[in-house]
Amino acid sequence: MTHEERPDDMQELVTEIARALVDEPEAVIVEAVEREESTVLRLRVAPSDVGKVIGKQGRTARSMRTILGAVSMKHHHRYTLDILEEDKQAAASE
Amino acid sequence: MPIEDYNAAAQKIAALLKTLTTTGGLRLKYRITAGAGAGEPDGLEGCEIYVELGGPDAPLLTQRGGELLHALEHVAAKVIRLENEEHDKISFDANNFKAIRAHELKVSAEAAAERVRRTGQPYSFAPMSSRERRLLHLAFRSFEDIETSSVGEGARRFVVAHTKGYDASKLASLQAAAPSFGGGGRGGRGGDRRGSDRRR
Repeated sequence: MTHEERPDDMQELVTEIARALVDEPEAVIVEAVEREESTVLRLRVAPSDVGKVIGKQGRTARSMRTILGAVSMKHHHRYTLDILEEDKQAAASE
Repeated sequence: MPIEDYNAAAQKIAALLKTLTTTGGLRLKYRITAGAGAGEPDGLEGCEIYVELGGPDAPLLTQRGGELLHALEHVAAKVIRLENEEHDKISFDANNFKAIRAHELKVSAEAAAERVRRTGQPYSFAPMSSRERRLLHLAFRSFEDIETSSVGEGARRFVVAHTKGYDASKLASLQAAAPSFGGGGRGGRGGDRRGSDRRR
């Protein structure tokens, strides 16, 4: 089975990792925003879980980006991860 | 908080790795050992969950000082809800990368101890991650005449070996050695802090 041509998988990958990290997995939402050269994956979690996906000194977010980077190399496409925080989430839903 | 249920923890880590091999398409094999003193080759760290990775994509894990290996280890530790100070309870390795590194540290500890004895001067190591510094401190425990300290802040923090009773106030002015190959591990790349995550 090849995964080279399935960018949806990246959205699913981030969703699954984020769900494992948080206390409210049902609140995890990942949107894919296509840019010219890359795809931005925008991760939203419950406000109380934001710290869990970012981590102390951003280390959990950095680790997720490292994983995403390795996997996207195999997909031959660039993906970046944005974590939307509470105030940003409020603004985005207006 | 100790790891209360090894089985549940191992299953959570297996699920994470399965996500990477199925959804993520990484060709990795893994073996998870859980329990007190889980299967680390030299047993120095005394970890409780040991994950050994292999397979065609394993070289990806050990590139750039093991960046991906450490990233997986960190996420796995968070998935089983370990606090930062408990991260040593879990250890990931691939193609013996960390085992070889641990052996290197042990050998360099012996050489450094010899040099400190001969010269009486403190010996500075290169900056390293907290886990590698811990391994070094542990390696020096067998030398009764040598003590170790950590000096410096953050990613620049390094271990100094010195004679017993050496004036600790003199240590702060020491410089770290130049990083060796494979050294430092995850310590070196600090840029991506919390503030970069779209705060307003």
